Amino acid sequence: MVSMAWLNLKQRKLRTFLTTLGVAIGITTILAMAFLGEGFRGEIKQRMEQGFELDVLIVFPGSFTAGLREGFSQKDVNYIKNISGVDLATPLITIPLGNFSEGEVKLCNKNGTKLGAFTVGAVNFTEIREVLPQRFNLAAGKFPERNETKKIILGYKASVINETTVARVGDNVTLIIPMKTPTTTLNFTFTVSGILARGGTTGITNFDYWAFISIEDALSIIGKGKEKPYQIILVKVSNIQDADSIAKEIERYFGFYSVSVFVPAAFTRQVNNILSLVQMFLIAIGSISLLVAGVGIMNIMTVTVMERTREIGILKALGAKNRTVLSMFLTEVLLVGIIGGLIGEFTGCLFSYCLAYILNGFLQTNRTELLERPESQNIKLTPVLSITWMIIAFAFAVIICIIFGLYPARKASKMNPVEALRYE
Amino acid sequence: MAKILQVRNIKKSYQMGKVVVPALRGISFDVEESEFLAVLGPSGSGKSTLLHIIGCLDRPDEGEILFEGINILSLTDDGLAELRLKKIGFVFQFFNLLPRLTALENVKIPLTLAGISDKEADERARNLLELVGLGKRLNHKPSELSGGEQQRVAIARALINNPKLVLADEPTGNLDTNSGWEIVSLMRKLNEELGQTFIVVTHDPQIAEAADRIIYLKDGLIEGIKRGLR
Repeated sequence: MVSMAWLNLKQRKLRTFLTTLGVAIGITTILAMAFLGEGFRGEIKQRMEQGFELDVLIVFPGSFTAGLREGFSQKDVNYIKNISGVDLATPLITIPLGNFSEGEVKLCNKNGTKLGAFTVGAVNFTEIREVLPQRFNLAAGKFPERNETKKIILGYKASVINETTVARVGDNVTLIIPMKTPTTTLNFTFTVSGILARGGTTGITNFDYWAFISIEDALSIIGKGKEKPYQIILVKVSNIQDADSIAKEIERYFGFYSVSVFVPAAFTRQVNNILSLVQMFLIAIGSISLLVAGVGIMNIMTVTVMERTREIGILKALGAKNRTVLSMFLTEVLLVGIIGGLIGEFTGCLFSYCLAYILNGFLQTNRTELLERPESQNIKLTPVLSITWMIIAFAFAVIICIIFGLYPARKASKMNPVEALRYE
Repeated sequence: MAKILQVRNIKKSYQMGKVVVPALRGISFDVEESEFLAVLGPSGSGKSTLLHIIGCLDRPDEGEILFEGINILSLTDDGLAELRLKKIGFVFQFFNLLPRLTALENVKIPLTLAGISDKEADERARNLLELVGLGKRLNHKPSELSGGEQQRVAIARALINNPKLVLADEPTGNLDTNSGWEIVSLMRKLNEELGQTFIVVTHDPQIAEAADRIIYLKDGLIEGIKRGLR
């Protein structure tokens, strides 16, 4: 049967070539979309994992619904620390730098040059290094010892402005806070203990533009008596799977809408879902080309069956059963499906790389400052070849061929032999 | 001699638009084993319709056909196909060979359909083509053969499954007189040597004379039956 079908296909070379080409193009499109989608998803996922520590929850006071609330107390931090599944909870106080109604809050070196920092963060150095180990690598110096005060750690961009170093380890820097009543400024001087290695990653924030002091120093700046001094609590969980339930527990403790818990794992999951949807959409568009190929097959097959009416009559007169004729024509479309599918698998892989190359070139030439800050990496699209998608696409090709080939094949098998023999 | 075929009161008509045209109007006859029977009649007398019905390609509106005692009209389409494959051979006026296949491959088709191994099919087809005098033209395509040669291939194809009954529909109708005679002599020879029953439909009285018996058909009815010159 197969050799007979092959012989028949070989008889109509151009026709076979064109129908096979249709299937191959369909599979190529589907696979290119699937592979690029997979690659894009992988790239985004990797970036998110770099940008967000998936095992760290970020707790803010207040919510979009209920408005901002005052901060957290040490008791709150301790409560979170004791939730089962929580490895560590560490508080963060932020002192934003910049212009306020009282004047400019700034961090300057001994010459009065403003450092490149946007925010001064107060942290427990031991704990924060445990929670965000990747972000707290030193390029120079060392972290302050426990209970050591008046020390500051600078982010890379805080110490280097336009490739000029404005603060080195051992230098004194001053935090200047203007006051309205009485009109004066408060100066707090710190010794640079260390400079963080360049991070460059985005995500929650870029610590390159931060400066870090100890919680004790921050408390003496904002006032020691404050009951709820902490603005953020970072919570490290032992198992990412528990992140959602721990977030719920924290919300329950503070009351819903009183806090916002950012769960990076849930966020990345959501983004992943959206990207999956986009991928499916692209594949669906690709599938249309295979459907078109299917209609082409049906068209060609119908013509072929008509042309071969006499042959069908002869075969039936010689004793071919209806199902023999049916399977003869189905074998032919099946061969078209298999060959077209195999070619499509190969060209699909090739095409996805070509497309990635072109798109990457396009992304390079169209880079704007708006889209990418200089320190962030370029988006690079690499297709991910997936065996699963190859199998799915191949099966799809074969199924489409069978579905669209079935009608003409059935028509052939149902032919009346006498009428078929009379056909001119 | 045993009867291989019993045809009883066969009627068949065709719908041509709104008009019903009767092709066979009640035909009955018997055929004996190894007989060489000719059905003679002018164009439109219903002889091809009769051959198609006997050959299980078509069903009559009425009547009964017993093939080796079995009522073939009770068989399903698949049953009829099986009967055509194993017990009946066809020879057509226009040869009806598949143009893209060689003589050998054409002859092998029924064996392939019957699921015979390619090696055995090959051997049997070669022998048969040898028997019909085409031993040297095995690998020629129909377009490379003369009309007479093509009909010989068709005869070999009809005989390949050792059928009990060979049906020929105007086998000489598309051949010149000489080739026509050669074909008739060949069929006659095979009938005598192999003992198969032949029913040959023709409009040529001279060809019909070669038969054991001639059935005259006119307007869908048997006009007469007489013995041939053999």
